[in-house]
Amino acid sequence: MALQNEDKLEVGYSSLQPKPKKWVLLMLRLLAFFATAAATVVMGLNKETKTLVVATVGTTPIKATLTAKFQHTPAFVFFVIANGLASMHNLVMIMGDLFGQKLDYKGLRLAMIAILDMMTVALISGGASAAAFMAELGKNGNSHARWNSICDKYKTFCDHGGGALIASFAGLILMLIISVMSIIKLLIKPKPDSTTVVP
Amino acid sequence: MAKINKIFSNILRLLAVAATVVAVVFMVTSHDSAQVLNLTFTAKYSYTPAFKFFVIGEAIAGGYTIVSILLSFKTLFWRLIVILDMVATVLLASSISAALAIAQVGKKGSSHAGWLPVCGQVPHFCDQVTVSLLAGFAAAVIYFVILLSSLYAVVL
Repeated sequence: MALQNEDKLEVGYSSLQPKPKKWVLLMLRLLAFFATAAATVVMGLNKETKTLVVATVGTTPIKATLTAKFQHTPAFVFFVIANGLASMHNLVMIMGDLFGQKLDYKGLRLAMIAILDMMTVALISGGASAAAFMAELGKNGNSHARWNSICDKYKTFCDHGGGALIASFAGLILMLIISVMSIIKLLIKPKPDSTTVVP
Repeated sequence: MAKINKIFSNILRLLAVAATVVAVVFMVTSHDSAQVLNLTFTAKYSYTPAFKFFVIGEAIAGGYTIVSILLSFKTLFWRLIVILDMVATVLLASSISAALAIAQVGKKGSSHAGWLPVCGQVPHFCDQVTVSLLAGFAAAVIYFVILLSSLYAVVL
């Protein structure tokens, strides 16, 4: 009776062992999903309108409305698309981790996850760096090309853009860690041995 | 199969080194000046932080590729090459994206921000930067294929 209880305890313990590592990866993916989704949403809703009085005809002032939208800059459009795709990728990976343990695609599941993670990292890094240099140009201008900075006129636009950039860089670092963990999972995959006896 | 993969990977690495060298050389030697009314308008790659980042990123990736060709036989940590290849791919993707973003503004201008395009006044600069960016983009694409092939070599 005591031996049977010990056997049950051992079986229970060994089935619990892989879970802590799985939860770490899941938590990282959740954080990366939130970071990239936040970057997408904040930049996607980034818009600022200013009205200036251009001229005065008689007593009525003529107002001109100037807007700063993220769509004006292709770099920011690429940023929004890249972060949107990355958050979709993380969502699909989380769903696959939680609900799709049985799907294997002929033993290529880990390899596919690693490749997709690497592609997503490259995508996020491209989007974040393009938006970062564009934002630096908007903030400091370029005296050699006679381009004035726009951040003093559109302060909220610049602030929101900066926040989205910070979220995206956090997502990039998290995605790098996730990708390295996926590759390590692929490298230490136990190779199937033909001499083991199946209990 | 592993031998063919290794030869293929080394050929691709040589191509990537060539592409990064072309990108760096054409970017560094690109400068032009024009006289507009009585003002001298010069354009150099060092006036833009994005192009400086592009040159540094391509140089680091090219240097790493040369080292990885020399270390391509099985030493102690040869599996680490997958992660280092991924870092190089990310660096190349990042450099080319940043340079393309700024170059697009230089070519087309931005009417909303009041920025005039620059390429009309300094065409020689723009042509050299175009060649450099094409080489950088080719390097990024080649590096992605290198990454896939080293993943295949390590997983097998």
